[in-house]
Amino acid sequence: MIKSYKIRRVITNIFVYILLGGLGLIWISPLVYLVLHSFRAEGLAQVDYLIPKSYSFQNYIDLFTVTGGGTNFPRWFLNTFIVAIFSCIISTLAVMMVSYAFSRLRFKARKPMINIGMILGMFPGFMTMIAIYYLLKAMGLTQTLVALVICYSAGAGLGYQISKGFFDTIPRALDEAATIDGATKNQIFWKIILPMSKPIIVYTVLTSFIGPWTDFILAKIIMGSKIDNYTVAIGLQNMLAAGKSLTQFKMFLAGSVVVAVPITILFLVMQRYYVEGVTAGGVKG
Amino acid sequence: MKKIIALLLAVLMLASVLAACGGNKTTNDQKTTASGDVFQGEDNVTLLVWAPEAAVELTQQLCDQFKSEHSDKNITIDVKPQEEGDVAAQILNDPSVAGDVFSFACDQMNRLDKSKVLDPVPKADDKLGFDYAGEVKERDSEPSVEAATMKGELLAYPETGENGYYLVYDKSVVSDEDAKTLEGVLAACRKAGRKFNMDAGNGFYSCMFMFTGGLELQGLNDEGVQQFNKYDEEKVIDSLEAFANLFHEYSDIFQSDNVDKTGSGFAQDPRSVAAGIDGSWNAATVKSKLGDDYGAAKLPTINIKGTDTQIISMSGYKLIGVNAQSKAPYTAHALANYLAGEKCQLARAEKLSWSPSNKVAVESEVVKANLGSMACLEQAKNALPQVNIADTFWAPMGTLGNYLVKTKDITRDGIKTEFNKTITNIKDE
Repeated sequence: MIKSYKIRRVITNIFVYILLGGLGLIWISPLVYLVLHSFRAEGLAQVDYLIPKSYSFQNYIDLFTVTGGGTNFPRWFLNTFIVAIFSCIISTLAVMMVSYAFSRLRFKARKPMINIGMILGMFPGFMTMIAIYYLLKAMGLTQTLVALVICYSAGAGLGYQISKGFFDTIPRALDEAATIDGATKNQIFWKIILPMSKPIIVYTVLTSFIGPWTDFILAKIIMGSKIDNYTVAIGLQNMLAAGKSLTQFKMFLAGSVVVAVPITILFLVMQRYYVEGVTAGGVKG
Repeated sequence: MKKIIALLLAVLMLASVLAACGGNKTTNDQKTTASGDVFQGEDNVTLLVWAPEAAVELTQQLCDQFKSEHSDKNITIDVKPQEEGDVAAQILNDPSVAGDVFSFACDQMNRLDKSKVLDPVPKADDKLGFDYAGEVKERDSEPSVEAATMKGELLAYPETGENGYYLVYDKSVVSDEDAKTLEGVLAACRKAGRKFNMDAGNGFYSCMFMFTGGLELQGLNDEGVQQFNKYDEEKVIDSLEAFANLFHEYSDIFQSDNVDKTGSGFAQDPRSVAAGIDGSWNAATVKSKLGDDYGAAKLPTINIKGTDTQIISMSGYKLIGVNAQSKAPYTAHALANYLAGEKCQLARAEKLSWSPSNKVAVESEVVKANLGSMACLEQAKNALPQVNIADTFWAPMGTLGNYLVKTKDITRDGIKTEFNKTITNIKDE
């Protein structure tokens, strides 16, 4: 009986692993293709075979040195980096403060404001895009990086739900204890709640940092033809325009790989806190 | 709660109304400045010129020449890169920040005309007092002028004599003799075991299957529906059938993929493509990869019911337009006219291998020495100009192309049904 159970388990496992392996392969293959071909030395845009025949760093070198005319990846990379840093800082602060207020403070407009926040958050972002464009234009901000920072961070407070949920799980007894010791609401936020909320801070930082690297539509509308102020997403798409794609396709692949670098570094740095935060205890301390 | 929402909505509405007002006002203002009386050319002008990446440097040089020719005026010209295929989208996004003078591909003519962002080329009886339209009609080739004309009005300046596609082949495999017929090209490709590439699933290329059978486009009617000539359906089907049969016969080496694949195939080692139909915009790159083996010709003939018939294609053109919202329309038109003139066209032919539309420039040695240019110009004679075509034309046309290439056991009846479906879809009935 045990033996047949063992065999049954082995057989089930084989099937499960084959299935999982297959799915994993499907999931990873575009990434592998992207990385492999970003190092491909021979050929132009596409080749008929999957594994490149020779490798070099030339595509990466081109990516950072070919900066004439309408292609300027270093500039685009820097633009995106600046926008990402600023919008990341502003939106993380905004989200945390809004969530804290909704979670800990009791005031008359609390419920209505929570509801309005929910309702506004339900409208898809691109619905207001044209309006955003004309408002920015009225302020003389179109085609600037400031406009992007504003767009990515101004509405960030609306995404308070997840952090509010997290704050709600932190016992109010901690707040009360701090209050007895003479702490103000502001001090409680900075000294008690925030240090206990590392995982949710990391989550917010990561999502708001990734936004500018991946957003295409809004950046495209705001930047229009101002190539010097493009972010990587529009810049990379620009490399595939008719007439350019044949020669810049490999640079495009290299660019796609490079874009992943800052996000990966940020995640690796923050991962430590992520795990630490999750396992950190609640009320004991 | 309700009050807050009402207040918010009111503010939003007010803001949008104000924004809309602002927009209208500026356009009206600019209209009035545009209809000044005598041409003098504005002073202290800053013009933004859009040119594709490859042409930015040259365009800046040409603009500097224009400036020195008008040194009595203070003109600043800024040339910025903007790919031609994306011009309409960029301009319609916000004309007020778009280039004053821009180079674009003529397939966007309809969209640009519909939203009135193109300032028509000045005629003799215009208040501008300059007959640029007359000059253009005299100096540029007929089809290129036709491509720049909508409803009898010249809206842009022809920049090139073609922006279409041609047959490119590896001379070490396909001889010049082979390149005269599609059968010959395909047979040579099979002999070498290498592919023939064309983008049969793209309406811009697949329309040749119909055009070769005698179908022609005749613009749009008042409701914007695509009009055709009185074509002989049987003949069109004959042509479609001939193409389909040929592609199926050579299915082992016939590859229907993006035009970039032609150039990529030549760049591979060993070369995987022996011939293909490629856009003239890729010609310079392909030529550099093939070197001495670079062969270029007009599209070949195809044998339809025993007669070798020349393949009829669609030819695009590059045009130079002037933004209707330009703050300096006089200077902008003068510059556009200059950039579209013989001297600049020759400079582009020399540096960028763009074939001229100018009747004099086209006869120059520079152009004649350029195989790709000559092939495209030759094909342009067997092509319908890409002008005034419905937006609904491209997708059904591409579907028909895919049908001809990919359907197994293709029959004449099947083609007939698919053809009629295509026509219905294009007319959007």
